[in-house]
Amino acid sequence: MRKLSLAIFVVLFAIAQVFCFSSTSYGAGESAGKVVVGSKNYTEQMVVGHMVAELIEAHTDLKVERKLHLGGTNVCFEALKRGSANNGIDIYVEYTGTGLVNILQMESKTDPQEVYEIVKKEFEDRWNLIWLEPWGFNNTYTLAVKEEFAKENGIETFSDLGKLADRLVFGCTMEFAERSDGYPGFKKAYGYSFKEVKAMDPGLMYSAIDNDLVQVISAFATDGLLVAHKLKILKDDKNFFPPYFAAPLVNGEVLKRYPQIGDVFNRLANSITDEDMQQLNYMVDGEGRDAAEVARIFLKERSYI
Amino acid sequence: MSIFSQYISFMLERQDQILELTTQHLYLTFIAVFFAVLVAVPLGITITRFEKAAGIVVGIANAVQALPSLALLGFLIPILGIGSKPSIVMIFLYSLLPIIKNTYTGLTNVDRAILEAGRGMGMTNWQLMKMVQLPLALPVIMAGIRISAVTAVGLTTIAALIGAGGLGQLIYRGISMVNNRMIIAGAVPAMVLTLVIDFLLNILEKLVTPKGIRRKAKK
Repeated sequence: MRKLSLAIFVVLFAIAQVFCFSSTSYGAGESAGKVVVGSKNYTEQMVVGHMVAELIEAHTDLKVERKLHLGGTNVCFEALKRGSANNGIDIYVEYTGTGLVNILQMESKTDPQEVYEIVKKEFEDRWNLIWLEPWGFNNTYTLAVKEEFAKENGIETFSDLGKLADRLVFGCTMEFAERSDGYPGFKKAYGYSFKEVKAMDPGLMYSAIDNDLVQVISAFATDGLLVAHKLKILKDDKNFFPPYFAAPLVNGEVLKRYPQIGDVFNRLANSITDEDMQQLNYMVDGEGRDAAEVARIFLKERSYI
Repeated sequence: MSIFSQYISFMLERQDQILELTTQHLYLTFIAVFFAVLVAVPLGITITRFEKAAGIVVGIANAVQALPSLALLGFLIPILGIGSKPSIVMIFLYSLLPIIKNTYTGLTNVDRAILEAGRGMGMTNWQLMKMVQLPLALPVIMAGIRISAVTAVGLTTIAALIGAGGLGQLIYRGISMVNNRMIIAGAVPAMVLTLVIDFLLNILEKLVTPKGIRRKAKK
């Protein structure tokens, strides 16, 4: 029994150490004057997440905590509704189309302004979440194939792809496979489906198409990996995908408490193009640079910070 | 060789981050398993006295274990938000079963003859538990804790998906950037952590084994 008590003592001592050590970095901390920034789990979201954080740090006295790379739209959205006061987040960058179709579960629309207006109104009415001005780039969903594959088969548009679809394996994110503005809606709009659908992590899709395990993947128009992996974006000739303009989405209570946040982001309204964003994503995915660094460089270059 | 040295230089470049994430990882695992031990051992002891409850408790623990971890996280977010709290709760819930089961099995498998002998010496139930059953069952209980701890290190990687940090952060970010060096920078420390914890708990397991039942060296 002496050995047992010794062992217990050792373990307890170790725990005490961990607690003492951790209370500094993990304790509840003072919540006054702090904003928690979130992002989803892919490169573009990391870059824009860091931009949001950098901008707040540069233009306000607020402290910023970065909770980036959260697992998907649902995690971010649920966390935003709670706000940082309840272990959630206060702000993240969302896309208007995702808000409309995925979160509000409404019919897909093609007019960007109309989509923005609907989500702005509905989010505020339902959950007191506020959409700030869009930043300008439209990260729409699209389909991509290898450049050589497109050339060999003369494929330019989604409709062209339909002719070969029953022989092709389609790799997409799990979110795309489920969303009504994703594969289920796509099948209806274009009237064809692929031989097989393999849902996987966004990053793995690129390895999969590199190794010819899939022939078509879902992608984002601003994706830097498209350049790095020599892939061709196909044209959505039936305008199926709604617009996905990126804009900061803020918890209404937080915005009321710190109205200066709104002013900070409205400087960026309509000032980042699709090409800008693709370039930034490429700097991370293609050149292996740190997302935080890329965000900072861009904001400095354009003198936003 | 050059690929190997690339990995090494990447790890060195990021060593501060790797160290920080490893500490976070260890912290999450440790707190969760610690509370699991605190709850599961007494629970395991209690259910040896109430045979009917044993089936129910083990059944519930089994059901929790069978629930996919990401699904569990999905349920926890609306209740606990994101960050370390829901992650610790998740790891805690998964750590319960092996400890409860091993505690229960260890205690009930003590040789009846030994218990009879104890009773014959006039021991009360409590004395029997404290002086006979527990010491004899301790190696089995420790084995359960060891299984929980080792599993927990692996499980903690998914805490990164809800913003709790840990080595999963490097792994998941590496996957989304198609950056193998980053994946390895997260995976290797996690692997080392598992092996070290397994090794240390193995030693502890041997230390708590009563002298009388230690396996004798081969003649």
